[in-house]
Amino acid sequence: MTFETRMARLEEIAGELEGQGLPLDRALALFEEGIETLRVAAQELAQAEARVQRLIERADGSFDVIDRE
Amino acid sequence: MSRGRTPRRDEYDLFDSSASSPPPPPPPAAKRARAPEPQPEPEDDGGYPGESPASAVAVSTLTETARDVVEGAFIPLWVRGEVTDFKAHRNGHWYFCLRDSRSQIRCVVWSRDQRGIPAPPDDGMQVAAFGRLTVYPARGEMQFTVARLRARGDGLRRKALEITRKRLEADGLLAPERKRRLPRFPRVIAVVTSPDGAALHDIVAVLRRREAAVRLVVVPAAVQGDTAPLELCAAIDRVNRWGGADLAIIGRGGGSVEDLWAFNDERVARAVASCAVPTISAVGHEVDISICDLVADLRAPTPSAAAEAAVRSSVELRSELRKYSLRMTGAARSLVRMRGNELRHLGRDIADAASTHVAAHRTQLESVAGRLHALSPLATLSRGYAVARDASGTALTSVESFHDGDSFDLIVRDGVVPARVAGVPRKEAS
Repeated sequence: MTFETRMARLEEIAGELEGQGLPLDRALALFEEGIETLRVAAQELAQAEARVQRLIERADGSFDVIDRE
Repeated sequence: MSRGRTPRRDEYDLFDSSASSPPPPPPPAAKRARAPEPQPEPEDDGGYPGESPASAVAVSTLTETARDVVEGAFIPLWVRGEVTDFKAHRNGHWYFCLRDSRSQIRCVVWSRDQRGIPAPPDDGMQVAAFGRLTVYPARGEMQFTVARLRARGDGLRRKALEITRKRLEADGLLAPERKRRLPRFPRVIAVVTSPDGAALHDIVAVLRRREAAVRLVVVPAAVQGDTAPLELCAAIDRVNRWGGADLAIIGRGGGSVEDLWAFNDERVARAVASCAVPTISAVGHEVDISICDLVADLRAPTPSAAAEAAVRSSVELRSELRKYSLRMTGAARSLVRMRGNELRHLGRDIADAASTHVAAHRTQLESVAGRLHALSPLATLSRGYAVARDASGTALTSVESFHDGDSFDLIVRDGVVPARVAGVPRKEAS
């Protein structure tokens, strides 16, 4: 799952939780999923550090990505 | 170069009536002339060639001598004038006249020299042409061989841009509905630019400042010079074949119009348009708009702006995550509270219903109890009767149930009397 889909899922979960007439067990399941999604997304952000690499094409047409610094 | 055929003796028609202007007089010093073509040598009277009809020189001698003189006399130079009679010949060369109010000169641009000229000139354009004055002996004409061409107000570049823009537009590449949405959180950004240019430096600086969670993959290409267009196309092609990026930034830092020119190349523009992932173009400074800017999904005024458009800062993202957290816990809390209230109401309702029910039953019970009481053996007891029961509670109603010495209970109105059979029961005749 990408950060983007995680953010989209969080939006869905928050929206559904805020809706009316949600059965309690469904709400609890959503809440649990939401907290877990939040945790992973925050973890992803915490690891965030821009990496600069360089694309190298080999003679056989395959590619290599090497760290630049 | 063709030297023409060897003229015959009677062919010295120097004053060809079809020539528009008289040819220059023969060079005064024939020393410069090279050895004439083999020709019929008239009787040598000791004078210089062409001094008399008898020593007349061939036409080719004249024009070739003129060529040597003219081409030796002028170094390459810039000439300004107005373009007229422009013609792009089938053979690939361009022909036109350059003129001012008093004179004109025929000009040619060989096809191999056209690469450095953005677009063919139009009639009426004021231009400066750089080239050499030459003589074309086959026609006996002077012509200016042009290698570079500049139009006033950069007209050729503007014309070239317009031509390219129209061609791209005709193919629908500039249509607004072609613009793709950029990924909101790209993970791998390909940057097509010079690996040691200012653009890359600026982009990296922005990403570092924003603590962006991205990988930047540089796809190197020359961004100026003759090789730049093809290198840029090849780099974009590489991005496509690699397939690892989810966004591409294509650009370079600021520079002169010439420096930025590769980004106006039609091939580069088409490569940008065909890029497999959404593109941001970032060419030069704010004011420079390139053809690439028109086809890219987003035009950023500078490379830094491209980076800012591509990624959001992690601070911003963290605050967005916090907002989701607040929304979810808020919603969950209010949901629990709501359900709790519902439960309490329900409990109260049930209790109310139950107590009503119980009250109704109690009344009913009391009346039944009254009726039962009337029938109760207890009532009989109260009138002085007693009931004998064994230990298991069974009523003993016959002499046959009693044996000498048995213990039994005697139930009277207000209690139980332990009793024992004294003697052998007698059965009475009924």
